[in-house]
Amino acid sequence: MIFPTSDEDVLVRISDRNPSRELLDGVAGADCTVVEVGSTGFPAVEPLVSVTRGERTTFHAQCSPEEIQEFVALADDSSRADTAAVVEHDPETTTFPAPELFGLDTGVRRVLGGCGWRRPTHPDDHEAAGGFASVASEAVASLARQLRGRGWGDWRHDQRLIDAWRPAMEADSAAVVVNAHGTTADTLLLSSVPFEVLEGANAAARAVGADRIVVYTADNDAALTVNEAAENYPNPCASVDVVGGPSEYRAAEPTMALEAIEGNHRIEARLRPPGPEVSGLHGDPTLVHTARTFAQLAVAVRDGFAESRLVTVTGDVAVPATVEVPESDTIETALDAVDIDGEFKAACVGGRFGGITTELDIDVAPDTLANADLGTEGTVRIITEDQCVVAFIGNKTQFAADENCGRCVPCREGTTQLANQLRAIYDGDYDSDGIEELVRVMDLSSICAFGKQAGRPTRTAMAAFESEFAAHADGRCPAGSCFDRNFAVS
Amino acid sequence: MSSQRHENTDVPPLTESIAPGTATDPPIGSDEPSTLTVDGTTVTVSASATLIDAIEAVETEDTVPALCHYDRQDIGPRSECRTCMVETDEHGVVPACSFPATDGLEVETAADDAALARDVNLDLVLSDHNLRCTTCGKNGRCELQDAAIENEVEEPRYGVLDDRDAYEPMDDSSSFIQIDRNKCILCNRCVEACNDVQVEGVLRMEGQGQDTRIGFQSEAETMADSTCVSCGHCVTVCPTGALVEKGIEDATTIPLPGFTQKNSIGEAYEQSEQTDGPMTPKKRAEATNEHNDSERSSSHRTDGENDDGGSWP
Repeated sequence: MIFPTSDEDVLVRISDRNPSRELLDGVAGADCTVVEVGSTGFPAVEPLVSVTRGERTTFHAQCSPEEIQEFVALADDSSRADTAAVVEHDPETTTFPAPELFGLDTGVRRVLGGCGWRRPTHPDDHEAAGGFASVASEAVASLARQLRGRGWGDWRHDQRLIDAWRPAMEADSAAVVVNAHGTTADTLLLSSVPFEVLEGANAAARAVGADRIVVYTADNDAALTVNEAAENYPNPCASVDVVGGPSEYRAAEPTMALEAIEGNHRIEARLRPPGPEVSGLHGDPTLVHTARTFAQLAVAVRDGFAESRLVTVTGDVAVPATVEVPESDTIETALDAVDIDGEFKAACVGGRFGGITTELDIDVAPDTLANADLGTEGTVRIITEDQCVVAFIGNKTQFAADENCGRCVPCREGTTQLANQLRAIYDGDYDSDGIEELVRVMDLSSICAFGKQAGRPTRTAMAAFESEFAAHADGRCPAGSCFDRNFAVS
Repeated sequence: MSSQRHENTDVPPLTESIAPGTATDPPIGSDEPSTLTVDGTTVTVSASATLIDAIEAVETEDTVPALCHYDRQDIGPRSECRTCMVETDEHGVVPACSFPATDGLEVETAADDAALARDVNLDLVLSDHNLRCTTCGKNGRCELQDAAIENEVEEPRYGVLDDRDAYEPMDDSSSFIQIDRNKCILCNRCVEACNDVQVEGVLRMEGQGQDTRIGFQSEAETMADSTCVSCGHCVTVCPTGALVEKGIEDATTIPLPGFTQKNSIGEAYEQSEQTDGPMTPKKRAEATNEHNDSERSSSHRTDGENDDGGSWP
């Protein structure tokens, strides 16, 4: 890790997804050390320039190439409070010292601790944070008994990892797949703290005796970063390949991820059981977990088990943000990190096919969310008052009908018929029993989570906004957006 | 290849270029026979059996259509139609055709959720099927028709595919096999027969969502332009009238003057050229190139329709 060595020594960090060349050039020649760090998860403040001198760091949000030189020179000038925040911290901290500004101090920073602070591909920085320590496989397996998989791309979504590790432990050959396809949080981890992800994957590979790790993502920049980190990884216990996948939403489903990694030109779900834990990549027992799950594992190995959830708040907000929320905190906590564009109406909680709710005073713990029929995917999409919930779920349903893999009838034909049933509401025909029956069968009998979850937005919206559905059947849209234009599904 | 593991390192080179477009499903079932109960009746099934084997061995309380189930000649389970859902004590509602039979499992066919799922899924299959049975050559020997009759389907919840504008043109371009995709239920049997059994690599699954269809690996639009050798295996496994043998394509239709399956659909790809035997021109050219013997092919080109040898390798 790079630290300022004296009070005169100045360290400048530039935090952004892709810092521009102009910004770096803007500070060239200044008497300081400049390093590039990844995104903090808060694109609203980026490029974020932090200037560290001793125990003091000054942060400058949305720094332009013209401003950076001046910011660095005036880092100690507290009169610049409009765009800057100052934090006093341990000079050797390896965790982002979040200022009380911009919503950057929302939640906790365990898994996200290194984001915007450590250099993503420098092993020194990760080592200074306690990384790469050797840990007994028994300790890792013990954590796998407690830790649950994060996200629908995780074969152990919401379930404890360990049961899916046993076949690999008994096999001669096994693989580990880091499924980082699809969510903003997984991409953030690969881009900003790839060593956390790789360390978790290595720990799991060692614990089950896997000989290869495949990192799977549809994001080119993240792929480049994690590939560089993998090349710099000291003493990896398995080979690491980074494989790009198609950008389609469904390609994040664990078995479709395996199909993409194996190179199938058409991506459809595999039958189960048995699942990838028995017959996965090229027929070998395979652990398929998301980048979020592996990063949680790495941090738990190092700092002990303490569950937190990465939550990305998006939708009708000024700029989306990704924060880390302890499981005992509510969804509402995450909303502190964003500016909502308008009056809050509802949220779609739990990814593309999450549940619609007006109630956000609900813990982000998986059991609590499941009881509320909300999803644990980690994405919360804000819907404001000017938006129509019926149109919102109509679009989601049409997306499901267009984007499913086409393999099984309840998903392929069910999503199409569900979209038809939702359109029929606009013609005055609101068959709520028929819709509930269809959604139930899609959930009961679809092959994979795509079809099982595709009806959740409809099911939950009908419960939370019954009067809006009834109004549409009467030819009225309470949000005033449906009947003066065609119900265009895109 | 679908439903087979990638463990055969010495597969013949021919299969390496076969791309059926389907997922590599895991091998299913245990190494040993298992004993389980179906609707209270104890039954023992052989190694690598699925629940459908146990269900077929006893009198069940409810009918389990298992429409897309075939399970002969290594074809299936595709587990596509989900009209075989049953309730188990240990795993909840599962598809019988592809769920491994295990010792001690208790299976119920009449449980509410399972019965509802079978019923709705059968209606969903019908919702995307051209139900003009009277002009269909498979009338009376159609597995979908049988399932619908046995399940006493009177009025399918979601209707049937009767929008002429939504119909795909019938593919009548081959002299041997007629394709009507409006009757296809995407069970994938033909694709497996073509690729896994005959190892011809002609048919594939393509598209997604409502555009999912049986197409050709050669990217051809019609059967005549594909690399088909007219072996007919796809026709023998097709559960509906989607793939039928030419010459008997209207074998069981009700004779209504002037009204046929073809004109009920509207558009069709017609046969455009003289046929030189079971191989399509593309397949013939391919086979010829493989043997580096172009003369033999061209000499056969004039032999006419009755020549069944073509340039068979």
